[in-house]
Amino acid sequence: MALRELSSLEKYLRLKKPNKYITQGDKKVPVLQHNSGSPLVGLVTIACHLVKEAKRPELLGDSAESRAMVQQWLEYTVTKLNGYRKEDIKTILKDLNLYLQDKVYLAGNQFTLADPLMYFRIHPIILDLAVQEKEQYVNVTRWFDHIQHYPGVRHHLPPVVVLRNRIYPSTHH
Amino acid sequence: MNFTVSISNPPLVALLAAEHVKGSVQVSVAEGKETQFHVSDEIQFNDASSISRYLARMAPALGLYGANIMEQTEVDHWLEFSAQRLCCQPDLAVALGELDKVLSLRTYLVGHAITLADLSVWAALKSNKEWPSLGKSFSHVNRWFSFLSSQVPFIAVGNKYASNKL
Repeated sequence: MALRELSSLEKYLRLKKPNKYITQGDKKVPVLQHNSGSPLVGLVTIACHLVKEAKRPELLGDSAESRAMVQQWLEYTVTKLNGYRKEDIKTILKDLNLYLQDKVYLAGNQFTLADPLMYFRIHPIILDLAVQEKEQYVNVTRWFDHIQHYPGVRHHLPPVVVLRNRIYPSTHH
Repeated sequence: MNFTVSISNPPLVALLAAEHVKGSVQVSVAEGKETQFHVSDEIQFNDASSISRYLARMAPALGLYGANIMEQTEVDHWLEFSAQRLCCQPDLAVALGELDKVLSLRTYLVGHAITLADLSVWAALKSNKEWPSLGKSFSHVNRWFSFLSSQVPFIAVGNKYASNKL
């Protein structure tokens, strides 16, 4: 899964030549064998490296506060959204829904690396949701729909149909 | 093209449109008594939404008027909505309730990018005195409003022209 995410990220960043990755251990942790220096290990480490290589440092946040928020969500993506159990899904969606109530992007008003990485990871969960659940987690759905239409992000992933108007009476407000 | 802006009643939506298209359309903005937009000797516009419509059509590549006929119609809907529903005080809360419902599943009002719809609704709220106190009860409108307010063209216009600062 991580290799696919890194390849999508490379395409989003318009990196000219794709890197070669290997995986390590039974958790299939991605490893980037770098020409100059020691190998880079782990999804977030490699992703941050690719962002710097593409000269897009703003994707890691442009203030001390937003940099910390980006790191927080990158860590969330690899810890909470890695090998989660089915019964965790509701909690994940509930927390995320509450958090995104007053935000357009994960780090606030700016698109950062946290958004595409979270989008890649949460895609299978959102794909499985019923129409009514998508409306229940309305903030997650809105954020997800925005990111999947964000120029250059979606790539190999199938689009998720999102209704743009509410159809169920709002009982959870 | 010469654009004169009334200082006592600045046409925020037209100023925002001018700010958005300034890379592709040459407009010089001056301050004066009345809002006037000179296209040629024979043609001029005086009201904010005509001016912003004209500017949006002058720069079709920016997509400010939507990407297709459906979106154009939606943009027209929101231009009318902001002129009629967001200016008169009594039913502002009702209008905000409708807006809140629509914005729950959208980042921008029309399509997936910024359009005149966002500019005009933002401008109408920005100059509405009731909005700051009512804003807290409408979380989706509030999120959308502060998101736009953080974008460069909105900061530029807001700092320079809006009297109703938040």
